[in-house]
Amino acid sequence: MTPELSSQSPFCLRLPAFRSVPWQQWLPSQLPSLPRQAIDLDTGDWSLSCRDLEELLVALNEAGHHVQAVMTRCSDTLISAAALGLIARQVSTDSTGDGSTHDQAHATSMDAELTVHRGTLRSGDHIESHGHLLIVGDVNPGGSASADGDVYVWGRLRGRAHAGRRGDSDARIVALQLRPLQLRIAELVARGPEERPQPGLAEQACIVEGAISIEPAKPPFAAQQT
Amino acid sequence: MTNSRTILICSGKGGVGKTTLTANLGIALAGQGARTVVLDADFGLRNLDLLLGLENRIVYTAQEVLAETCRLDQALVKHKQQPNLALLPAGNPRMLEWLKPEDMQTIAGMLSDRFDYVLIDCPAGIEDGFKNAVAAAKEAIVITTPEVSAVRDADRVIGLLNTHGVSPVQLVLNRVRPKMMANQDMLAVDDVTDILALPLLGLVLEDEQVIVSTNKGEPLTLNGTSSPAAKAYGNIAGRLQGEDIPLMDPAKERRGIRARVRQLMQTKIF
Repeated sequence: MTPELSSQSPFCLRLPAFRSVPWQQWLPSQLPSLPRQAIDLDTGDWSLSCRDLEELLVALNEAGHHVQAVMTRCSDTLISAAALGLIARQVSTDSTGDGSTHDQAHATSMDAELTVHRGTLRSGDHIESHGHLLIVGDVNPGGSASADGDVYVWGRLRGRAHAGRRGDSDARIVALQLRPLQLRIAELVARGPEERPQPGLAEQACIVEGAISIEPAKPPFAAQQT
Repeated sequence: MTNSRTILICSGKGGVGKTTLTANLGIALAGQGARTVVLDADFGLRNLDLLLGLENRIVYTAQEVLAETCRLDQALVKHKQQPNLALLPAGNPRMLEWLKPEDMQTIAGMLSDRFDYVLIDCPAGIEDGFKNAVAAAKEAIVITTPEVSAVRDADRVIGLLNTHGVSPVQLVLNRVRPKMMANQDMLAVDDVTDILALPLLGLVLEDEQVIVSTNKGEPLTLNGTSSPAAKAYGNIAGRLQGEDIPLMDPAKERRGIRARVRQLMQTKIF
């Protein structure tokens, strides 16, 4: 396997093409060639449930390989990985060509961990990220999103959002329409604004002088590494 | 039958009109010539048979069919005025303890061999009863009322339907009061579709006739009344069959005095 990421990046184990061969059969042949260090796992298009992924991790762990991050093109696997407490990254979902995937993987590895979720979070749904979180879709009332870093909603935020879960008070919550039930940044809690937001104006919530305040969203939007 | 449709009618919240919709839609579809069966999946609190006025005709239930102590056609109760419609009654509430999602799939499979439409009346809530019912369904109609609690529960149910791979999911908005909507005392149609983001299959106006018909055990769609709810149920059935019927506009449905008098008269006659 050619080194796909920069030299500081850990070794990346890439699963075979989706459904070409069951990974349970494929894995043992790969184990001897793996370096004894923390590795990244690229699951490609495989849709892995929590149970599948756990099985895979146990197999790797038994062979002495510690998986520190999972990269995937499938959002189901992304949610499974997040649920297992792994760093989860999404690489490009369109499988147009190898080149674009390569570029995407490179770009995401340069940023702080960014979790991308496509689709609406409905009442009772919950997603969390150990890095930043981008939701392409709405967060409905009763749904919640939380991240150690920032929460970006490319849609309407009407549920709950928690940015800076681990105490990062510079974290912020940005949404195309910010009308949440409740906002949390680091340890602070605020109720959403009562009045309807101005249409066509993205807004952000961040901590200003010890309180959460809402203002028009300001660039830069790129997830910043700290 | 290959093009049989198994449709789950669910809402999350109780009392928003699942059973009423199931009964009326069943009658309306049967009236349009489709062989239809309604399946009561609400084993704990069954009352689909009551609404259809078939309570006293039940001999066997889904329970006996599953236990193979009777044949399916023995358990099916044919509607007395609408022979295209049959009811498969729910068993006794204790059935909940042993019923598995596979059992519901078995029943729905048997029914879909013989009917064009299998309508499943889902219990309220999202616990075992819901999980059993959803296992049998291919598509779903979510019914809700313009209230925040009903919309919230519907949203949760839609999320669960999505994870179970039920598709398409369509929406019926029940108990719409045009006047309250116009005065913004009630959630508007747009507010509801905004959150739920589902195609709207129909709007049903608040209608006192529904209460009357429920108590009589005669679904509104049965006797061709001109009540607004009956019309709405008929339209929903038509749209399900693929007809292109425009949706009602609540703003134009502020009823005039004549309609009110007519309805008042209908209310008294029974």
